[in-house]
Amino acid sequence: MTEVSFSLNGTPVHLRDVAPTRTLLDWLREERGLTGTKEGCNEGDCGACTVMVTDARGTRALNACILFLPQLQGAAVRTVEGLAAPDGTPHPVQQALVDHHGSQCGFCTPGIVVSLAVAHAAGRQDHDDVLAGNLCRCTGYAPIVRAAQAACAAPVPDWMREAPPAVGRRIFTENSSFWQPESGDELAALYDAHPGATLVAGATDAGLWVTKGLRDLAPVIFLNRVADLQRIELQGEHLRIGAGVTIAELRAALAPRFPALDELWRRYASEQVRAAATIGGNIANGSPIGDGPPVLIALGARLHLRRGDARREIALEDFFLAYRRQDRAPGEFVEAVTIPASAPNCRAYKLSKRFDQDISAVCGAFDVRLEADGRVAAVRLAYGGMAGTPRRAPAAEAALLGQPWGLPAILAARAALAHDFTPMTDLRASAAYRLTAAGNLLIRWHHDLARLPVHVRGVQA
Amino acid sequence: MPKDGIGASTKRREDLRFLTGKGRYTDDINIRGQAYAHFIRSDVAHGRIVSIDTAAAEAMPGVLRIFTAADFAGVGGLPCGWQVTDRHGKPMLEPKHPVLADGKVRHVGDPIAAVVAETYEQARDAAEAVVIEIEELPAVVDMKAALQPGSPLVHDEIGSNLCYDWGFVEENRAAVDEAFARAAHVTTLDLVNNRLVANPMEPRVAVGDFEAHNDQHTLYTTSQNPHVIRLLMGAFVLGIPEHKLRVVAPDVGGGFGSKIYHYAEEAFVTFAAKQLKRPVKWTSSRSEAFMSDAHGRDHVTRIELALDADNNFTALRCLTHANMGAYLSTFAPCIPTWLHGTLLAGNYRTPLIYTNVKAVFTNTVPVDAYRGAGRPEATFQLERVVDKAARELGVDPVELRRQNFIRPDQFPYQTPVAVVYDTGNYHATMDKLLEISDYAGFAARAAESQARGKLRGFGVAHYIEACGIAPSNLVGQLGARAGLYESATVRVNATGSITVMTGSHSHGQGHETTFAQVVAEMIGCDASQVEIVHGDTANTPMGMGTYGSRSLAVGGSALVKATNKIINKAKKIAAHLLEAAPEDIELKDGKFTVAGTDKSKSWVDITLAAYVPHNYPLAEMEPGLEETAFYDPSNFTYPSGAYGCEVEVDPETGKVTILSFTAADDFGNIVNPMIVEGQVQGGLAQGIGQALLESAAYDESGQLLTGSFMDYAMPRADDVPFFQVDHSSCTPCTHNPLGVKGCGEAGAIGSPPAVVNAVIDALHRAGMTHVTHIDMPLTPSRVWAAMNA
Repeated sequence: MTEVSFSLNGTPVHLRDVAPTRTLLDWLREERGLTGTKEGCNEGDCGACTVMVTDARGTRALNACILFLPQLQGAAVRTVEGLAAPDGTPHPVQQALVDHHGSQCGFCTPGIVVSLAVAHAAGRQDHDDVLAGNLCRCTGYAPIVRAAQAACAAPVPDWMREAPPAVGRRIFTENSSFWQPESGDELAALYDAHPGATLVAGATDAGLWVTKGLRDLAPVIFLNRVADLQRIELQGEHLRIGAGVTIAELRAALAPRFPALDELWRRYASEQVRAAATIGGNIANGSPIGDGPPVLIALGARLHLRRGDARREIALEDFFLAYRRQDRAPGEFVEAVTIPASAPNCRAYKLSKRFDQDISAVCGAFDVRLEADGRVAAVRLAYGGMAGTPRRAPAAEAALLGQPWGLPAILAARAALAHDFTPMTDLRASAAYRLTAAGNLLIRWHHDLARLPVHVRGVQA
Repeated sequence: MPKDGIGASTKRREDLRFLTGKGRYTDDINIRGQAYAHFIRSDVAHGRIVSIDTAAAEAMPGVLRIFTAADFAGVGGLPCGWQVTDRHGKPMLEPKHPVLADGKVRHVGDPIAAVVAETYEQARDAAEAVVIEIEELPAVVDMKAALQPGSPLVHDEIGSNLCYDWGFVEENRAAVDEAFARAAHVTTLDLVNNRLVANPMEPRVAVGDFEAHNDQHTLYTTSQNPHVIRLLMGAFVLGIPEHKLRVVAPDVGGGFGSKIYHYAEEAFVTFAAKQLKRPVKWTSSRSEAFMSDAHGRDHVTRIELALDADNNFTALRCLTHANMGAYLSTFAPCIPTWLHGTLLAGNYRTPLIYTNVKAVFTNTVPVDAYRGAGRPEATFQLERVVDKAARELGVDPVELRRQNFIRPDQFPYQTPVAVVYDTGNYHATMDKLLEISDYAGFAARAAESQARGKLRGFGVAHYIEACGIAPSNLVGQLGARAGLYESATVRVNATGSITVMTGSHSHGQGHETTFAQVVAEMIGCDASQVEIVHGDTANTPMGMGTYGSRSLAVGGSALVKATNKIINKAKKIAAHLLEAAPEDIELKDGKFTVAGTDKSKSWVDITLAAYVPHNYPLAEMEPGLEETAFYDPSNFTYPSGAYGCEVEVDPETGKVTILSFTAADDFGNIVNPMIVEGQVQGGLAQGIGQALLESAAYDESGQLLTGSFMDYAMPRADDVPFFQVDHSSCTPCTHNPLGVKGCGEAGAIGSPPAVVNAVIDALHRAGMTHVTHIDMPLTPSRVWAAMNA
């Protein structure tokens, strides 16, 4: 059984024999003839394909180009063609874009309209953040932002509030090209039986394996309906974050506890990517430049892995063995990550050319615990972009440990970084830049904890 | 005046279809039975093709045919539309540009073979089974290295990488040198105008169709100028006469120059459709776009300004190396020459100017016009060297400009670089800029920044551009292989509505709205009664398309001419019906009246009479009410403006933040202020993108390092400030009927020097006077490195 059921612009859709990696964008354009949704890059960077998806997790703007059809099981999908009222009255965002000349060539426009409509429904006013995943080459954005501001006052149209359709439970066979388990136990059994399957959560990276890498991922196990992996639970002094929690959900949950880390999550990719990408995927994928692992490592995160009924727990940093190689056995998957429920001294800094939606040249995350006498009792310094994996800096940590907290110790740690890393030179930054910047981030951290003015917006490279 | 006539900020009629997903772009077109093409492109910058083995791939599922250069043996190469003659009187070197690479590959992305299959996936799969052996050759990426003896040759058969060595005005060379020898002060600046990728949000697409029953070819393509594509592809590449070739450019998702040119993929799908008797579609991926759309800019320049003891400019000398890339794109040769050298007077009275441009072949993607095309390069170097001169002389950069501006009473002004400016008032735009940007309050704002540990700077730039290209007889003398008129047909329907067929093409500019406003104003009808048709050679008169801010100045003028013909004929019909003399008939608010009487006929009375000619002067006039006009301009138009940028530089990191950006433009008369403002804002965003973020980078082996939106940093919403724009300083163009000048490129031309000048200003105010220039993009690392040099 490879059926998928969802609703499209209010109409039920039941598809049979769905290929697991058929993207929503291709299906909309090629099979449904709904060509309003555009392909501008096919890698989740430009947002021209943005669609609105409502499911049990709420309403989100997602990139249709890297969204596989099975991920829509049980969702309500709305495209640009479905935003106006049934009688043709434009959505307030559409009208505002006319009034403020927010469209020129019109090609990015459908994605902009959907992004703004989803944000409008949520009462969002952080328009630049909302638009961080939508490129426009014509307007210079200001007219679009003015339109978004103007539309804020209009009520959310009734037709934008829709419940996801009820779907029955499907039965998959041994020979299915994909499976979609609904619980962690089901997932564990399936993956144990099919260790060669590809696990797909948000598909923000796996989508590119298909659209750019032309890989055949089948058979695929989709994780998006494994509800018990999508929880964040307070367990004593720790937070247990399920692997299926999206970056957007994580950001919302962490903001009150870790306000100082919010900037990092805000700059993690774009609105559409944060709404799809999961923390488990970000970890399991093992990218050397993912922005999640450094901060989690600094927080002393423990990783919970499961294979069948066997579970184990390791320090997150021990999971990353080498470039794109992780300590994960066949059939084993990331179940959760636990972090302390608070860490007042933890900070994270991202250096990239552009503020939004850009790959880090260096990402540094640090935490420290001090003795009563001001000496460093414990310290964790973690970096992305400095090696083939996200890694701690043992020499720099050693330089701090036991020392009185202060600039001299920080400068010693900075000097010791050269023993920890031999970064590479590439387009984003030279090795020398990376090493220098990584060291200077420690000084920034010191100033930050001393409440000197350092805002993450000031440290773009 | 009708409410949606000239001067009204009419909302765009295009918007509703775009905002509801009903736009019809080329990739939205699917023809029954279409097959899909996938191009196999070179992954090395330079190499000899040793062998191509397609046997295994041809046996794969769904494969219809695999094409290589051998299939195009009987077909012409991609033509170049402009021939530049060098300073020794020799024509430029013009290498062959085959549809598919023949013998050699010359840049990463050069198409070697194309697979056509039943589905796109099958075509891509089969492409992986094509075995291509390439003997890699040393590549040349750097222009100056390419001119060294012994450099690898991009095109062996032409014997040199120097396309041309152009001098302008060559006769002035000695006089310019002499003026420099006599100068009281000389300012010299070496700079780079960074290579850019236009990146319209819609990637290129081409669909070829062939109908055997009438031997008719149709090409649907993402083009700014379908008639030009029909002419170039039909006449020079495939040998298809115009009456058997239709080119359609429907809704096009932005161009910025990159969709002017005739590309190999267009010729390929047209050719393959006939061979296979199937429609053939190709859709560019974004990765392909980065390595196959023509790039822009990429000039390396030394600019020198000579001044006398009173700070008057006495001479200007420019030596530029201009990258052509691996092949000559359609209009590439004219960009660094005629669109650049002729603008080097800028807004100034500099009496002697000499430019030398060496155009160079390298193993990179071809370079051609990108928003502004030559004029941004001219403006950048001029406005940077003037700023540098002011700092060296210790005078206010604004005052140095003012002192040397062409005065309002000097128009028309003959520059020493061939062109004659008809109107302008540069003092007025500069004054307006200083007023609305609150230049007077800058010192207080700078002090406030300083208190926060930040460095604030203010930079100005004053630009001029030549738009409305161009008098055909003039550009013909300069090497253009095309005329540059524009056309319009105005068809008044029997019941009074109006259909306009224009040779211009709209891909974001809003012609459907503004052109209707012009007709509504002239006829006195409601704009909703006017439909604008464009983009299809089957139903529009021969036109040259849209680029160079020419559509309203040239296409709009053709429209005015055709509408005037309509009005003249309609008045004759009215005169007949009202039994009056035609010269006594007045047209006002859509009504024909005999002057001084209350006798009148409505617009519909006349249009009905034209098509139901029962009471009609058939002996004197044909029935019907349809007129076509072609307009060939007598001069360029010369928009100009003053741009001001206020920045804050973080001395710790080199991070530049634009605090405000102000543009005071003179576009002549304005038809739709809302759309003009939108054009300026979009141009500014691209200019600021060039100044702070964007750069197409190659490594030494010719690999493109910036091949995706994650590597090529285009501005996103929070990278671009809100702008203040003003167009109240208006001197109407004197030689076109609407008095318009063009506004599409201004923002991208004037903003890069304003941004760089502002950053240099911030550093100088902070005492870092050793920083005299930073090459774009001004990334924090570059600014930081300059500060700490």
